[in-house]
Amino acid sequence: MAGQSTTYLYEKDARERLGFRSPIQWGDYFHGHPEYKVHRDDSKCIRCLCCVRQCPYDCTFYDPVRNVIYDIDANCVNCKRCEFMCPTQCIEIREHGSFRRNAHWDAKSTTGIYKQADSGAVILTGLGADEDVKIYWGRILLDASQVTNPSIDPLREPMETRTYLGRKPDRVQPNGSSNGYPQLKCEIPVIFAPMSFGAISYNFQKGLAIAAREMGTYFNTGEGGLNPDFAEFGPHAIVQVASGRFGVSPEYLVNSAACEIKIGQGAKPGIGGHLPGEKVTYQVSRTRMIPQGADAISPAPQHDIYSIEDLRLLIYALKEATEYRKPVSVKIAAVHNVSAIASGIARAGADIIVLDGYRGGTGATPRAIRDNVGIPIELALAQVDERLRAEGIRNQVSLIAAGSVRSAAEVIKAIALGADACYIGTAAMLAVGCTLCQQCHRGHCSWGITTNRGDLLPRLPADMAAERLINLLKGWKHEMQEMLGLMGLNSIEGLRGNRLKLRGVDLNEVELKTLGIQHAGL
Amino acid sequence: MLGSKPVARKVYPIEERCINCHMCEVGCIVEHSQTKTLLGAYQVEKLSFNREWSLGIVEPNEALEQGRPHPLNRCLVETHDTLSISTNCRHCDEPECILACKNGALYQDEEGRCRLHEDRCVGCWMCIMGCSYGAINRNPTVKNVPGQENNGIQNHCDLCPEREIPMCVYVCPTKALVFEDRGRAVHEVE
Repeated sequence: MAGQSTTYLYEKDARERLGFRSPIQWGDYFHGHPEYKVHRDDSKCIRCLCCVRQCPYDCTFYDPVRNVIYDIDANCVNCKRCEFMCPTQCIEIREHGSFRRNAHWDAKSTTGIYKQADSGAVILTGLGADEDVKIYWGRILLDASQVTNPSIDPLREPMETRTYLGRKPDRVQPNGSSNGYPQLKCEIPVIFAPMSFGAISYNFQKGLAIAAREMGTYFNTGEGGLNPDFAEFGPHAIVQVASGRFGVSPEYLVNSAACEIKIGQGAKPGIGGHLPGEKVTYQVSRTRMIPQGADAISPAPQHDIYSIEDLRLLIYALKEATEYRKPVSVKIAAVHNVSAIASGIARAGADIIVLDGYRGGTGATPRAIRDNVGIPIELALAQVDERLRAEGIRNQVSLIAAGSVRSAAEVIKAIALGADACYIGTAAMLAVGCTLCQQCHRGHCSWGITTNRGDLLPRLPADMAAERLINLLKGWKHEMQEMLGLMGLNSIEGLRGNRLKLRGVDLNEVELKTLGIQHAGL
Repeated sequence: MLGSKPVARKVYPIEERCINCHMCEVGCIVEHSQTKTLLGAYQVEKLSFNREWSLGIVEPNEALEQGRPHPLNRCLVETHDTLSISTNCRHCDEPECILACKNGALYQDEEGRCRLHEDRCVGCWMCIMGCSYGAINRNPTVKNVPGQENNGIQNHCDLCPEREIPMCVYVCPTKALVFEDRGRAVHEVE
């Protein structure tokens, strides 16, 4: 064999066949300090090259001359795809802590400076904030029935997890009707969060749609429109109208369960979206109604909304377009003064308000904004619910809590704090294999979740995604029923806003007052 | 008579689910090894698939000349651009390989599968010439004719007779291979 040139030829050829972007060059070896190191137990490696084929981040290569697999560790993002796929499980990815220990200049700040000094650009990232900001869910504990009030066994007695979202009449109607206000019927108070086609893969959105239909809940199209292939899932789609207005048409609005106006997003409050042109494939361009390969940029504000009155115009425009048959929701990021904003939105005529907290995820956002802007959803939710109740307009809107809901227990806690339902986005991605490597913005997700690249798409078949999501929701439903039962309640509706079922631990007086709960022991 | 046998379940690939991981090849090699374990097959028996060949870089003969192990995997993942697909013997209803076999080593069993009498194969490779799909390769580890160094016997998918479902179908992580009865393939004859 002819030495190194053959190596390159082999790699170049293989990479081109596999759809990689550029052939490897010597300079590529020197682009940064590795954050992770790939350890391969050579005594167990069988050279099946699965890891080489599976890595979309240009990290793992095979040298046929020396018959070795080698890694460019600086490119490793710890997505763990190779670890997962290796048939002999000989790969282990470890954190590579090479610097002198420093509590102030941690790895995140130092590598951030290196990257910006290299590129002069804004550091982009995906997913929700990963900073060590207090998580209140863990500091809120639930009540349980003991001697004086019996708990309920959900296996023997009916337990209702159904809930209705939308405006409720001011007085109870004799026949239990909603007085003509459209209602969104959820069999489980968990809805899939807005994730647009383009940001997520075709298969994943289809999986979400199938799971939503199966479980009697809803998925949200995000701002990317509804793919014509998914028209059959329209009755289970919440369709979003965002500042870019991608894919919005009369058919889109009518073929839906509800319409949602996106004002803000928890991971990037106050800024718009940017789907890079390379992610705008034929399918995405068809869905978004934009040219193929063109950047899809949604402006930071909705350019027709500069006041509550403007918002009212858009809400009623959507209601007119859907003949008052669909509830209209407004999604905002949880920011300071969120309760006053929510009050305005309720008065503008929204049927549902979605609050997206500090930890809410995204497909792409500047890291500085993701990690520093917004407030935790627990505090925002409690305050909004309290304000709406104080003003006597809580019945006019339903509240959906989004951003960082990780388990059935957190759904229960959110409902006790005043939410009607929760959005799950990151949890849904985790259910289908996400490893939180935060590379969503790069568009070659190794798990096939946030990419539409031809060779990565099959890694997440739609039916397997749907199966896992259905399993997750079924598990959560059982857990929620158990938790309601132990509190002596037999329906989700009985728990809503019932903060007496909550107690705080390790929280100071201001936090307890903001959350509207008592300290444990009281 | 050829083509008159009942139809058996066969392995069919689903192109849009294939993730190019080549686990079907790994599974095939392990299943057809003596030890039937991953490390045993690869490290003790030194079986290996010809990856250069599957990537179209090195021809099989070239690999043999270099003293490298010859492919024993009976399924092969073909890639083109971003597409990949696992291919193996179709077990045709009217197999050309059986017509081409000069000494009756290949036959169609009662379930309609193409099978091989290993002791009758002399490595003349007429079956390889006859196969329209390139699904047959060579197994150089068995030599029925002494003195012919590069020869061996014919090697094609046997649908894992010892298993309920073939190993390639069993190990496929995205279920891109299915083992099912799709009825008889209809040949249009003019």
